[in-house]
Amino acid sequence: MDADILLPPVLSFKRVQMSEKYPKGHARGRHWKHLKQILQAENYQTYPANEPNYINIESPPSMYPSKKFCDITGFEAPYMDPRTSLRYAHAEVFKRVRSLPNEYVQRYLSLRNAAIVLK
Amino acid sequence: MPSITRPLKQSDYNNFPPNAPIVIDNGAFNFRIGWAGESDPRVTFRNVVQRPRHKASGETVTIVGDHDPALMKYFDCTRSSQRSPFESNVVYQFELMEYILDFGFERIGADGSQAEQVDHPILITECACNPIQSRSKMAELLFETYGVPSVAFGIDSAFSYKYNQQLGLCYSDGLAICSGYTTCHVIPFINGEPVIEATSRTNIGGYHVTDYLKNLLSLKYPYHISSITWEKVEGLKMEHCYIAPDYSSELEKFQKESKEAEEKTRCWQLPWIPPPQEEVPSGEEIARRAAIKERQGQRLREMAAAKRVSRITELENELQGLEFLLQQLDSVSEHEVASFLAETGYVSKEEIESAVLRITQSLRKARGEQLDLDEKIEPPSAEKYPLLNIPDNMLTPEQVKEKRKQAFLKTASEGRQRAKQKRFEEELQRERQNQLDEEKRLENPELYLEQLRAKHKELTEKVEQRKRLKTNGSRNNGNQNSSGGVGRGERLNAAQKERMRLLTTAAFDRGKGEDTFGTKDEDWQLYKLMSKDNDDEDDGPNEDEAELARITSRLQDIDPTFVPKSDNGSFQTIPELPRSRPLTAEDFQILLGVERFRCPEILFQPNMIGIDQAGLDEMAGISIRRLPVKGDGVEERITNSILLMGGSSLFPGMDARLEAEIRKIRPFLSPIRVVRASDPILDAWRGASAFAATAEFFNQTFSRQDYYEKGEDWLRRHQIRYSV
Repeated sequence: MDADILLPPVLSFKRVQMSEKYPKGHARGRHWKHLKQILQAENYQTYPANEPNYINIESPPSMYPSKKFCDITGFEAPYMDPRTSLRYAHAEVFKRVRSLPNEYVQRYLSLRNAAIVLK
Repeated sequence: MPSITRPLKQSDYNNFPPNAPIVIDNGAFNFRIGWAGESDPRVTFRNVVQRPRHKASGETVTIVGDHDPALMKYFDCTRSSQRSPFESNVVYQFELMEYILDFGFERIGADGSQAEQVDHPILITECACNPIQSRSKMAELLFETYGVPSVAFGIDSAFSYKYNQQLGLCYSDGLAICSGYTTCHVIPFINGEPVIEATSRTNIGGYHVTDYLKNLLSLKYPYHISSITWEKVEGLKMEHCYIAPDYSSELEKFQKESKEAEEKTRCWQLPWIPPPQEEVPSGEEIARRAAIKERQGQRLREMAAAKRVSRITELENELQGLEFLLQQLDSVSEHEVASFLAETGYVSKEEIESAVLRITQSLRKARGEQLDLDEKIEPPSAEKYPLLNIPDNMLTPEQVKEKRKQAFLKTASEGRQRAKQKRFEEELQRERQNQLDEEKRLENPELYLEQLRAKHKELTEKVEQRKRLKTNGSRNNGNQNSSGGVGRGERLNAAQKERMRLLTTAAFDRGKGEDTFGTKDEDWQLYKLMSKDNDDEDDGPNEDEAELARITSRLQDIDPTFVPKSDNGSFQTIPELPRSRPLTAEDFQILLGVERFRCPEILFQPNMIGIDQAGLDEMAGISIRRLPVKGDGVEERITNSILLMGGSSLFPGMDARLEAEIRKIRPFLSPIRVVRASDPILDAWRGASAFAATAEFFNQTFSRQDYYEKGEDWLRRHQIRYSV
């Protein structure tokens, strides 16, 4: 049972075994690129603009005005707390917003990618 | 979450001829592998790899796919979590991909008994417009490592669409809306072929929905954060989430707490065992306990009394001995005193007298008499200090000296008396305040408690604020546990900063580059300044602190729910459940109300999680706009055949909502028909399997030869024709 979940290190149907490709004890640098780097290396700008590629098939930003929702309850939020910049639906939630520790405020903000990121 | 079943190893690999294609649906969530022409994939597993260390042997092992977490006790997973070869929907880590392909081929039963390679053509899916680097690496891996004879790449949604077209669910012109694990695609079809240039992709998918739900729940229930695991939340998502037919009105229902909303709220009860009830002791039991206590008290009292008696007798004996000694001393002649005393251990008569005095006092104390009686009856100062009122010129020099002494004694004793008086007054004041408080409390206990709590809170904040300022003058942003990004300068308190400043000025201000410190005497004054700074720091508890201490002790007395805050509790990470009342089953419930439709809503409004892209409904419009051919009713034909696929299309209400939303962006009375694929998850593999089973498939694959000879640019243009 124990062995069944493990992948055998040597597989007879492979031409090059894992251990030959990545010998043990050899420190390898990072041998892969992030998607961002891959896309940069693709040089899409050298190809005709009407040719579809990974970047230009992406959807543009929404045309609709984005609705504001309460960060805590999810209801529609007519107000925003200027101190924490959290959106809230009504006075009851505002009390909670003000009692939240800063860590939680930032976590709520980061849910919609609005947290302050220190670099 | 369905229970984890490991894929079984297939045994009929050698029954397939070398030209039988193997079909792989390489999805970001699941990896599916099987034989062309069959109706279902042979092997399906999560597209993840984990490389923990086996505890017994210490070797790094590879585990592909999901597995029973109970087995993880054999492995050391501290440095390896489950990793996916995908970033977004593109394969980027081919080492991990190799492990996954290894496992896929191994499970399907491949072995090297006939040839040391996987001797079958491969059809593998990829995302629309896969970057060429990823595609070429995949081809390289398949050719070089597995030695496959030929490969073809296809888009999963296209296969799914084609499969459903064969089933008659959609037509040759239509729209595939695929909502996957990491991305959503909308691909229009014209004459049965995908129009890639009109495709649109938004980087949002089931992963984001689960992540959002998990974050929302752990923010809402910080006490149960350990129960809110990724797997559990994924299960909750699959079971309970739905797409609201109209998001605003659905929200309104919940905001008004209507009955319908209440019915729609789901509750997840965490395991909870009620605490054992404390039984009320019977009257007999109470009496028995009281008797035991009384007996113990009695015994202690007796012991104390016996000790006191023995001490008194001891002291009395000593006193008698000393008195006897004094009597004897009187009878001894002047010369023999020294030799007489040498035996007793005393030096002079005075010493013996003082010893007598001391013992008498101890004796009095032991007998419980008032000790300070003699202090009370002090003689009036005129009697005690007779010389003070006589002018100096009437006194002898000796008497003047005596007078000074008396004056000093007088001021000292007066000072003592004043201090005593002050203490007494303070005591009185406190007593009065307590009495006042008590009256207020009796008048309105609730209000009083409330006020006291409010005051306590206010004072706590005040005191803490002061403390913060003291330890860190520059940081006053109102939170103490914002870790990270705190430079060295910020951690010093005001006194330390001042010291630093003094030292640096001493080092640099004088002497141009030459260290002359210490040549002048006043240089050393510096250290006095420094130590003065330190003295400033502990100037004792101030008024606020004293008041806070008073209120805290008062609250502790009268408020059973009051818990004084400990000083070092500001760095807590996992909040505890409130202990003010006994916990009930409700405290261990996780309610899913708005969250049920709030989380999948991000597919329609990616803005809710800060992704600035169009949602599913708008994407359909964008794709239609991007179509290169227009007119001739093509748009109507397309909207009349919209096919929903992908794991995230399984949310209930998805088709109705999409139809309503697309109706909004299309002209009045446009034909709109949205259908869900026959199996939104498996159809991609099935379509690919059907495609690979046709004779046409072999014209669309490319061999290793092609790959090497024609180069990357050719590979970039490689695109199969899905119509067969």
